[in-house]
Amino acid sequence: MEKTASPKVRMPINTYKIVQVTIAVLFIGYLIWRIYALAVIEQVYGADSWLRFAVSGLILGSVYAVIAIGYTLVYGILFMINFAHGEIMMLGAYAGYFTLEALGSWIVDPAAGQAFLNANPVLSIVLAFAVGMTTSTIAGVFLEKIAYRPLRGAPRLVPLISAIGASIFLQNAAQLIFSPRRRDYLNPDILTRNTGWTVVVNSKDVVITYTGVFTFVLSIILLIVLYTIVQRTRMGRAMRAVAEDKKTAALMGIDVDGVISRTFAISGAMGGAAGVMWGIHNGIIYHYVGFIPGLKAFTAAVLGGIGNLPGAMLGGMVLGIVEATGPAILGIPFQLKDVIAFSILVLVLIFRPSGILGEVLTEEKV
Amino acid sequence: MKEHIRNGVSAGLTFGVVTIFFSLIGFTSTATELMGGFIGNTSTARASSPGAIFNLVFLLTLVYLWNGSMAAKPTEEDTQQKAMQSGLVAGTVTGLLVAIYAFTVGSINAAGIDMRDYLTSMSSDAIELFLLGLSPVVGAVVQLVWITAVGAGAGWLAFKLRDKPLRKAIGRLWERIKERFSQVPLIQKINKSKYGNFIWYGVILLVLVLIPLPLSDYWNYTLGTIGIYVLLGLGLNIVVGMAGLLDLGYVAFFAIGAYTVALLTAPTPHNLLWNFWIALICGVILAALAGILLGVPVLRMRGDYLAIVTLGFGEIIRILSKSDALTGFSGGPRGVRDIAGPSILGMPFNSPRAFVWLIILGCLLVIFVTSRLQNSRVGRAWVAMREDETVAQAVGINTWQYKLMAFAIGAAFAGLGGVLFASRNMFTGPEDHNLMVSINVLSLVIVGGMGSIPGVITGSLVLKGLPELLRQLETYRMLAFGALLVAMMIIRPEGLWPSKRRRLEMHEEEEEPPTEHLANPSGGDAA
Repeated sequence: MEKTASPKVRMPINTYKIVQVTIAVLFIGYLIWRIYALAVIEQVYGADSWLRFAVSGLILGSVYAVIAIGYTLVYGILFMINFAHGEIMMLGAYAGYFTLEALGSWIVDPAAGQAFLNANPVLSIVLAFAVGMTTSTIAGVFLEKIAYRPLRGAPRLVPLISAIGASIFLQNAAQLIFSPRRRDYLNPDILTRNTGWTVVVNSKDVVITYTGVFTFVLSIILLIVLYTIVQRTRMGRAMRAVAEDKKTAALMGIDVDGVISRTFAISGAMGGAAGVMWGIHNGIIYHYVGFIPGLKAFTAAVLGGIGNLPGAMLGGMVLGIVEATGPAILGIPFQLKDVIAFSILVLVLIFRPSGILGEVLTEEKV
Repeated sequence: MKEHIRNGVSAGLTFGVVTIFFSLIGFTSTATELMGGFIGNTSTARASSPGAIFNLVFLLTLVYLWNGSMAAKPTEEDTQQKAMQSGLVAGTVTGLLVAIYAFTVGSINAAGIDMRDYLTSMSSDAIELFLLGLSPVVGAVVQLVWITAVGAGAGWLAFKLRDKPLRKAIGRLWERIKERFSQVPLIQKINKSKYGNFIWYGVILLVLVLIPLPLSDYWNYTLGTIGIYVLLGLGLNIVVGMAGLLDLGYVAFFAIGAYTVALLTAPTPHNLLWNFWIALICGVILAALAGILLGVPVLRMRGDYLAIVTLGFGEIIRILSKSDALTGFSGGPRGVRDIAGPSILGMPFNSPRAFVWLIILGCLLVIFVTSRLQNSRVGRAWVAMREDETVAQAVGINTWQYKLMAFAIGAAFAGLGGVLFASRNMFTGPEDHNLMVSINVLSLVIVGGMGSIPGVITGSLVLKGLPELLRQLETYRMLAFGALLVAMMIIRPEGLWPSKRRRLEMHEEEEEPPTEHLANPSGGDAA
């Protein structure tokens, strides 16, 4: 039989694929082993611990979701990471702090020595949120006007660097104006930190704090309101149109600059609300307070699929829960929980850059 | 509203806010002190001494002059009257804002309330100084009158000085100096000779070797820091400037270099006590390897995602080095001390002066490598990738490989910087490797000019050298960096000393028909 030279087809070796698969196998293997170890060998954490983790994760996640919305809104429209969003949140937290301090030192009932803050707690909180959100809204709009608008149409690196600059500027401005001191947030008595309803699980007390429930409920309300605005109102429709295609939207008579400005306003308001919630729930603010939550919220936005509103909400929740339970599951010290969030970011971007609820924008934008 | 009035209002608002901001961050007091230090007319006894008030008025007058001249920019119908009106409006707006502010803080201060708990630089002294030592009402009125007058004057002045741009005059002067120099016989001879370039390099080398000799240890130390930042800047320049990959976690490679030399040569925690030179090579290689390891998964991403991932990576390194989990391995939060310095033939070579020479040597090496790379096939591939990745791929550039190369080379330079830094300080710890290092390096690359070697050197001289000269302004450094990044992007994205190619890139869209009209059909001002 005659040998015919069979054409040798050399499969191209895709290094990237190999790396992907290797990382995935290693990671999943480790995860399975850890879960097995936790459930069968160690048994350190009882049901009460898991409940505690879940509750704190949900609360944290809801705040992340609110911040992540701000990133996702802006990204959806301008395709740029508003790096200074965390600082917008920080400004909102400070504004809320000053409002609460002012109300706390305004004695309305001299006989009982009662301040406005505790005489009208609900109104005080509403005021704090109003001031915080207004401040952040203004900051967001001006940020866009000063640092981003002149750069529209520039190469992509340019607005990003500008955003980083704005972030550093705001952080340091806050440090110089308000001093780097850590400040205790003044809550009204009905929202005293670390008090709450006690649930007995596994014959151990699990405290579900008032501030936590408040934060969670408020976040959900904010997310619903925002979703309605974007999906149901005229303004929301304009925003979606601009996100889809700026030029066409402009031809349809939409004021693109105005829509972008309003997007920054909404994203700023969300950031401000998140800042005040952060202060009320965590109790301590300082000039750097927005940075790490900002990064993590960005992670959440990427996790859910950036530019996608429900994705950001889902991503925030998932990230919160993973961060709360991660150290226990992976068996690493709680000190390193920030590492988990960043690792998730890297992993998501490697395996599914479009996120959980991803849109079809990966190749082009990632 | 008429155009010139509108110009006046917008300039006035901007400068009013800026002035108030300067006062809030305490910059007015600091600048006054700084000027007092230079001309020696202030006393420490009283903050609002006549000398201090003079300095403040002088400095603020400069700001308000700028205000007026900004407002009086040329309009369609450019007359002296209109320019003065713009200046006047700007002055009035700024004056009103500042006067209201001065009156408010002045009265609060006069009521004896200490605001420092909330606004940290609002000390009684600072407020008194800002009111020029007057009572709140009088001070506010004086400010209003003064600022308005200066604004109007500046408007007039700006009109008079128009068409006599200072910048052009300086440019001409520079040209003339260059011409003069090239006519000196000796220089002409050198330029014409076959070895002209080498002779110039020799002269530069000689100057660099001689510079550290007359300087004190402190200045040599500073010079060393600047040199290390030149190293880092040149490394990041390859990644950001040439290949167009924004790496915000650059400090991670710096940390790897620093920790390598620390762990290999220090007595604690491992007591390996290796030779410095071997540790140096290990540090550079490890940093490059880390660059490749990080690069493999993340380099598929573009632009902003890469920035965030690298930022996250930098934070991971910092958190790890700070955590208790690794204390046994890397010294934990307390860091590693007693890192060995270099020695030559058994002679210790670790004075600040010796380190300056070492660092200069490193810089020269890196500059050599970078300039050779820039004009090679690799450098051109990087530029092509930065310009348009898809097209670069289409013409057969393996973008991933070249990106990885840029990442590894940049990381290696950072590793070298880290080794020298740790060894010179004889200490390294987590706080040496925070995000601010990355931001510093990024700032100097961007301010100097992305992709330009002389730009990076200029950038580090300006951003690391100037703060050393003006130590009082240390507190405002990061603030200024942030503002600089934004301002550079808006005003001069190609940097102070751009490479030619970059300058063309950044201004190429100006020649195209503006597309902005399409995006804004109303044509009106969105504000």
